[in-house]
Amino acid sequence: MNFALVSLSIPLFTGLLLLMIPRYGGPWVVLSSTLSLAAAVASLVEVVDSGNQAVLLGGWPELLAIRLHLEPINALLLAFTALIQLLVSLYWSRNCRNDGFWALASLLHATLAALWLSGDLFNWYVTLELLSLVSVSMVALAGKDSIKPALNYLFLSLLASLCYLLGVAIIYGRYGVLDFQILSRMTVGDTSTAMAMLLMTLGLMVKGALWPLHLWLPPAHSRAPTAVSALLSALVVKGPLFILTLLWTRMAPMELTDKGGEFLAVMGVFALLVGGWCSFRTPLLKEMVAYSTVAQLGYVMLALGLMLQWQLRETLVALWLFVLAHGLAKTSMFLAAGEMQRIFGNKRVTALRGASQTAPVAMFAFAVAGGSLIGLPPSGGFLAKWLLLEPLFYDLQRWPLAFAVLLSTLVSAAYVFRIVTLAFDRAERGQAPSRDRVSEWLALLPALLVWGMALVSEPLILWLTRVAQ
Amino acid sequence: MTDTLLFYLLVASFLWAAGLHGLIVARHVLRRVIAVNIMTAGVFLALVTLAARAPEPDPVLHALVLTGLVISVSATALALHLGTAAFSTEKPEPTTR
Repeated sequence: MNFALVSLSIPLFTGLLLLMIPRYGGPWVVLSSTLSLAAAVASLVEVVDSGNQAVLLGGWPELLAIRLHLEPINALLLAFTALIQLLVSLYWSRNCRNDGFWALASLLHATLAALWLSGDLFNWYVTLELLSLVSVSMVALAGKDSIKPALNYLFLSLLASLCYLLGVAIIYGRYGVLDFQILSRMTVGDTSTAMAMLLMTLGLMVKGALWPLHLWLPPAHSRAPTAVSALLSALVVKGPLFILTLLWTRMAPMELTDKGGEFLAVMGVFALLVGGWCSFRTPLLKEMVAYSTVAQLGYVMLALGLMLQWQLRETLVALWLFVLAHGLAKTSMFLAAGEMQRIFGNKRVTALRGASQTAPVAMFAFAVAGGSLIGLPPSGGFLAKWLLLEPLFYDLQRWPLAFAVLLSTLVSAAYVFRIVTLAFDRAERGQAPSRDRVSEWLALLPALLVWGMALVSEPLILWLTRVAQ
Repeated sequence: MTDTLLFYLLVASFLWAAGLHGLIVARHVLRRVIAVNIMTAGVFLALVTLAARAPEPDPVLHALVLTGLVISVSATALALHLGTAAFSTEKPEPTTR
């Protein structure tokens, strides 16, 4: 547990320090996320060796104290957050011209770490609020154009938090407990529990930009600075998803899971198709990547829904694999998109004509990340999709869903290949744009990691099957 | 549950719903800030009412409301700051690309 707390405190103190002395932010954040990553990996090894751990803060008795708990999945997410943070800050320390970013990025990292480690409903509310305050400020860093989307994001996420908080109030009024592990042994399927689950689910769906409550995401994610878009898409939307998953898989009473699962699965299918279609149609490059996030989150919802409806354990493994693969792929995609946007000085998709000749490495990063989003073997995205599809084929009743997943694969192939075809057109003659080779390679790095996931696929899947519950 | 408590819970849910309605319908930043605060007041009233159910008031809920107040003040401050920035006439220099 100590290593996990270290992994949480390093970015927290770095963030506070950088707020006071905003100088040399880049190197400091790279250093702090490396250390935090090392501590998170150590905590992962520790928790795998010696089982789940918990600590009660401040020496208060149970039910009163804030309890932090560590399970293999939490430790994995802790390491994943630090890794993405490291990759993004490596890229951004070459390009950043605003010192405000670094303090906020560190605080974002600390908030996410706190979210993974907390285990009671109210603490999650606090971390969710912190998460949205930090992300809204980061979106607004891009200047005048991004303030309106940032404000809209803030209001919607406040609305969502208040829905969630009312749900928490109902749960506390009914059971008198906030710790979800204790609640998971107590909940019964009565009206007030159903009401509370509904309110909390709706709140978390707005925060996690799950279709049809995703409308704030594309403007906010596409107007933000490049590194912020990458962090928001790869990490921030996963926070509410994590809480939603824990609420439904562990805490929800048996009577509700069936209906909830059906609802989530149907919404997931719509997210896949509608989000993919919007991504295919939009004229702006970063907005296309942002809509693809909306679509990809549909897989996570679908996996969660199937798990609840048919108690399929494989789909829970698929869910965590989607979270990891999407995080890495989307980081690479946003960084590559930002890099190309800088090289060509244009936000539109059509500016990429001939990019395979003028910015080959960045375009390669974009295409490789896109391959994982489509689910081409051998990538992390392929593993997750295969695990999701396999149980769908066994039962005739589930074939419509399998068909929907295959159709969504086609849609995602369409929006990725739309860019790739443009890039392979002949470039217009003109002066060669200025390129920064190192930052192009840094944008490629996360995409290579996601394809690397396929190399360790068997141990990864077996391990996740053992620890996912 | 006594009638007084029920009355307060009804007021709380009314405030919550009114705030929600305002937040969805209103366009002006200041109106939306006020709507959020009304909604917050609704939730806090519900929490405080639940705390008063037993003869001995429940301190956990009071602590939750205190924490919530701090968060709601910070969120309001951020919203007001962004709102001011959105409507200020002078153009702040773009800080990042």
